Amino acid sequence: MRVEALLQFALAIAFIVLWVFMPAWSISGANYSISLTPWGYVVRFFGETHVIPPPTVYAIWLFALDAGLLPLIWRRSRYSLYLAALFSVLSLSMLMDTILFQQRYLQFHGYTIAPTPTGYIYVLLSTKPVLGLPTYILLALTILSIFNMATRARWLGTRVIEDPIIAIERVLKVLHIEYSRIEHGVEVESIKIVRQGGSLWLVRGGEAIEVDLKTAIAETVKVGLKQPVSVGVVDYGED
Amino acid sequence: MATNPFKITLLISILSIAIALTLIWGTAQTAPNLIRYSTLSNDPYIKVESINVTANGVYIRLAIINNGALAFTPTGGWVEVVETGQVVNVTIINGTVIAKLPLTPQWMGLASVGVKGIVSGTLNGSRAYIAFFDVAPIHIINTIGITNVSYADCVLNVTLSVNTVVPVVIRPIINMSLFTVSTPGYYVFETIGIVNITVYAPAGSHNVTLMIRVSPVLGRYTYVYSCNYLSGFSKYTLWLPIGVTYMYPTGNITSYTLLTKTFIVGGGS
Repeated sequence: MRVEALLQFALAIAFIVLWVFMPAWSISGANYSISLTPWGYVVRFFGETHVIPPPTVYAIWLFALDAGLLPLIWRRSRYSLYLAALFSVLSLSMLMDTILFQQRYLQFHGYTIAPTPTGYIYVLLSTKPVLGLPTYILLALTILSIFNMATRARWLGTRVIEDPIIAIERVLKVLHIEYSRIEHGVEVESIKIVRQGGSLWLVRGGEAIEVDLKTAIAETVKVGLKQPVSVGVVDYGED
Repeated sequence: MATNPFKITLLISILSIAIALTLIWGTAQTAPNLIRYSTLSNDPYIKVESINVTANGVYIRLAIINNGALAFTPTGGWVEVVETGQVVNVTIINGTVIAKLPLTPQWMGLASVGVKGIVSGTLNGSRAYIAFFDVAPIHIINTIGITNVSYADCVLNVTLSVNTVVPVVIRPIINMSLFTVSTPGYYVFETIGIVNITVYAPAGSHNVTLMIRVSPVLGRYTYVYSCNYLSGFSKYTLWLPIGVTYMYPTGNITSYTLLTKTFIVGGGS
């Protein structure tokens, strides 16, 4: 798991969570205001509150969530990053479309006029459009996902430390070595790698020795390579 | 078959772009049903509360009727009286909207007028204008009062302040008397019957002085107890019932009114 991908996920989550609390786009005014929330436009008009949900508003955060999650779920191929970049661009364009919806259907300028028993009342509803912080985060997410796509999420150079057992599993999977998961570890043929606290133990026969990750991978591969070559024979073997 | 990441990506891309386009199209289609129309309800309005025609001018009071949670605060505006064509700006005195117009002869022939105008102000912090037209009856206010009284050597001087919108004739005086404010009270003089004295006052605000020689010449039932203030008494009341004829363009109207004045002579009580 790479920091770059985690960063992308963090931005997506930050966008959605922040958006619940502050509007991504709003038109503020004393008696008339519009706020874009994840569930639609909240329109306030002299104490009345209405929620107008254009369908595109749901696509904004669904696509943003996809853009954040996909690089974490699908890590095998760089196409995952391409798809995530597409999702983030789609999310941004859905936001733009939703703002256009406001401009087209909820736009209001100047005076509201209402009849009274002796005439009319004209109320000036001056409004100021404001782009909220969540929109900037979404913009950052889009830029980051495109950057991640271009660099294959390798612009930081460091790697997030993940569960060593999963790291071993990934190597075994790539080499098509058959193994089985046991509690806190893996078992390949006659040896077991068990994680206890922060250290790895290699169990062979009755004895257990503490090993580092490199040795553990090397040992399991060494044992695993003695397996009969099964590539192309085992159906549904690949994840 | 090995999964081809390119194929998966292409498939999901096309699918998600299709979803996005469908949503954009669907939003445009459903938009007329999604949006709502709101208008102000229980909005404040203006009524003409009173139109008082006095010698000093015409005062139009406008009432702001706030019937709801929306509070309108006036800051300015103007009114036009349709019948006279007068246009003036309003003044705000402690939240009351008052327009003061000069008195013109046309006002004498009117029973009610139409008032139109605009009052500007704020509604819940938003700039707002209330345009109105209202018809209201006119109240003509004429006041006549005693401002000063003096009595010496059987001569009574009464200064009247006359605030009328039309010329008036004050005539006659019926049953006037001057007496002490004490227990028991004592008359200085009293007349029973009519004292024929005629004073003319033009329209507007004026002071008019009546000089009356109090003596039996005035009439048969004139009782003069003293030609000066009584010694030992300083607080007196003058009763002055008078007839006033208002000379309206539409005809003269005579009304009788009692003017009284309690006053203190010299020092002490």
